[in-house]
Amino acid sequence: MSADTKPTLTAPRGIELRTTRRRLLAGAGAIAAAAAVVPLAIACQQQPATKKSGPAKVVVMTDSHEFGEDDRKALQDTAKVEIEIVEADLTRLYAMWAAGNPPDIFRVQAAGVPQYISRRMLKDLQQYFASSKLLRPDDLAPANNFYKSDGKTVGAGDLYGMVKDWSPDFTLYAYKKAFADAGVAVPSDAQPLTYDELAALAKRVNKKQGGKRTYWGFVHSNNDQWIDRTAMNMLAEKNQTLYSADFSKLVIAANPEALRVVRYLFDLAKDDIQQNPLDPSPNWMGADFNEGQIAILQYGFWYSAMAESDKTKGNVVFLPAPTWAGVRRDPTMTATGWVISSQTKDPDAAWAVFEQYMGGKPAQDRAKSGWGVPGLKSLYPLMPQETPFQKQVQKVLQAELKQSEFTLAFNPYIGEETFSTSWKKHLEPALKGSITFDKFVTNIEADVNAAIADGKRIAGN
Amino acid sequence: MSAAASTIAGPSARAVAWRRREVRRAFTFYAFLSPWLLGFALLTAVPLAVALLMSLTNYDGFNLDRASFVGLDNYARALMDPDAHHALQRTVILMAIVVPIGVAVQLGLALLLDQRLRFSGLFRTIFYLPHIIPVVGAAWVWKLFTDPNGGLLNALIGVFRPDTYVRWLVEYPTAVLAVLVIWAAAGGGMVIFLAGLQGIPAEYREAAMIDGANPWQVTRFITLPLLSPVIFFQLVVGVIATLQILQQPILLTPGITGISPGTVPQRDNYVFVGHAYTAIFVNHNFGYGAALLWILFALVLALTLVLFRTSRRWVFYGVEQ
Repeated sequence: MSADTKPTLTAPRGIELRTTRRRLLAGAGAIAAAAAVVPLAIACQQQPATKKSGPAKVVVMTDSHEFGEDDRKALQDTAKVEIEIVEADLTRLYAMWAAGNPPDIFRVQAAGVPQYISRRMLKDLQQYFASSKLLRPDDLAPANNFYKSDGKTVGAGDLYGMVKDWSPDFTLYAYKKAFADAGVAVPSDAQPLTYDELAALAKRVNKKQGGKRTYWGFVHSNNDQWIDRTAMNMLAEKNQTLYSADFSKLVIAANPEALRVVRYLFDLAKDDIQQNPLDPSPNWMGADFNEGQIAILQYGFWYSAMAESDKTKGNVVFLPAPTWAGVRRDPTMTATGWVISSQTKDPDAAWAVFEQYMGGKPAQDRAKSGWGVPGLKSLYPLMPQETPFQKQVQKVLQAELKQSEFTLAFNPYIGEETFSTSWKKHLEPALKGSITFDKFVTNIEADVNAAIADGKRIAGN
Repeated sequence: MSAAASTIAGPSARAVAWRRREVRRAFTFYAFLSPWLLGFALLTAVPLAVALLMSLTNYDGFNLDRASFVGLDNYARALMDPDAHHALQRTVILMAIVVPIGVAVQLGLALLLDQRLRFSGLFRTIFYLPHIIPVVGAAWVWKLFTDPNGGLLNALIGVFRPDTYVRWLVEYPTAVLAVLVIWAAAGGGMVIFLAGLQGIPAEYREAAMIDGANPWQVTRFITLPLLSPVIFFQLVVGVIATLQILQQPILLTPGITGISPGTVPQRDNYVFVGHAYTAIFVNHNFGYGAALLWILFALVLALTLVLFRTSRRWVFYGVEQ
């Protein structure tokens, strides 16, 4: 081959050799488009859900502390379905829904149920309950009413879920050492306090030394996460609520009773009796009580399983729920339980898991553990009554159970944390004096009413 | 075959072979590129486009069939939202604190560890460690460190000033947040600056010192100009990361151990992405949340462009751009 015929890397005329920017962009665009189109095309070709052969698979979003690997395996064998656990997390739950792939069963709290029903996220389980031998409607504890809805009212109508266990949640735990240090007598466990008496008592046992916290006087609502539930229960004693009758508005400023309750709860924070943004705890309130840093704690029966720590053992007294207006009410404020997604592909398999968890051996084990009142009345006798503290707790609990048949009417148009998030957002500037109490109230009303308006639009109301 | 036909067929066959070779090369090129490109398309481009569409609707995250087109309402709402204004203001303040100080700390550490020191490898590891601590753990450490009742910080100050009781997270929440962010990012930035420093030929500094320059003059007139592209890169990355901050303010909120939709940071640490997070996961207003995030994207883009524009005046690349 002569030198002049030697092949070179130059392109024949008319042929583009290099990958130009335009080509790169075109190629990249083509790949990107293909990447977007292929899954869409696959999704479009998907047939309506049909049952697969072989064992069904049920995805359960729950708390791994309540439902561990051993529980999963045992329930899997009993229900004869494959169970996949996803850790309970509201953010993840909403993301899974937004992605069109919600879990078959998910753990909820009562405050979220009306909203989930209004957004058609839950499967109506009435027929399943009607034919169940494990979960008979007449055996259901009153807390299960939080899972009933007739489309307008919570507390009546079809069942959409069930509590895994529950507690009358407005009971009190008193730390006797804090009372002894203050030279104050521990209240009677037979006679409920009024909320005003409670605040006065809390002021006397509240203690700081050199700025450092010794005892918080009265701690409630789990860092204000449940502040609306506390307010609603207080208001219920006067047949009032935070919302207008049709749930279209949050009404505080224009309702003197609501304003008085909100002022009471605000003052507990302002008086530094309750944990608050200006005097926060690095911990959750249950741990603070265990550390002997809370004189009076408002928590449900379930907490009795851990109220006695090494530090507090022998120094804890369980007290009845306080009363706001002399009409005692002590319902659950959480009613934590399970629901089945309206989008589940295999409702029978999901029900098999649900039914066993709520009425089978797992339910009996939970009842014996003392971490809550069982969701079935027939399991009540299994609650532990061995130690002196457990016996004292049971004595108070049995009286409180008579006051627990009341359902808090949560707003179906907003999320379960919409109110409390707004409360927490505006509480700090209000306590610092950057805004007045009136402005604090109107800010919360503005936030929540905007969320209600959005929710109503989505619900088509 | 005639000579004329052969003349015509020759280049044509060559062209076909060339084209095949080009197709193969292009295929190889895109095959190598496709993992990133697919990731970009599926995890960035498509979600961005979906989020843009979502921002024009009242989608609640649950009921796509009930979502409706609302035009630019969500963007108009953001302009009128006092919490959005507050959150944006706090985010910009945080950025103004964290980015310059953070870059200075990273650069300072890199300059220190670029010296021939004993145990410099050990020091690099120690300074880099915070960068690999998960954000939840790092925030928890800082919460305990700054706890007014039993925290180490008050205890240390108490050595000199007994009975010190400072509620750091209440009185200085932004300062604590800024220190946490700077501390956590220092190691990563330091490594990048060290790489930049080691790319500067030693001859330049030696020549300057032979000419009588002192260490400060060498740093000021040789090292920093040659390091300016890295400083620029760190600035851009710092601005973007700080404007997008979400986890740290939430995790520094007293009383919580994890991220939950209803957690509200101290008012001074109420940042813009946190406001969008609340809109989406507390109020279920995915449309409004997406609009807020697109507004943030526009802001990030604008600030980045401003940085690029100003970089012409102070970034020295060593080659023509």
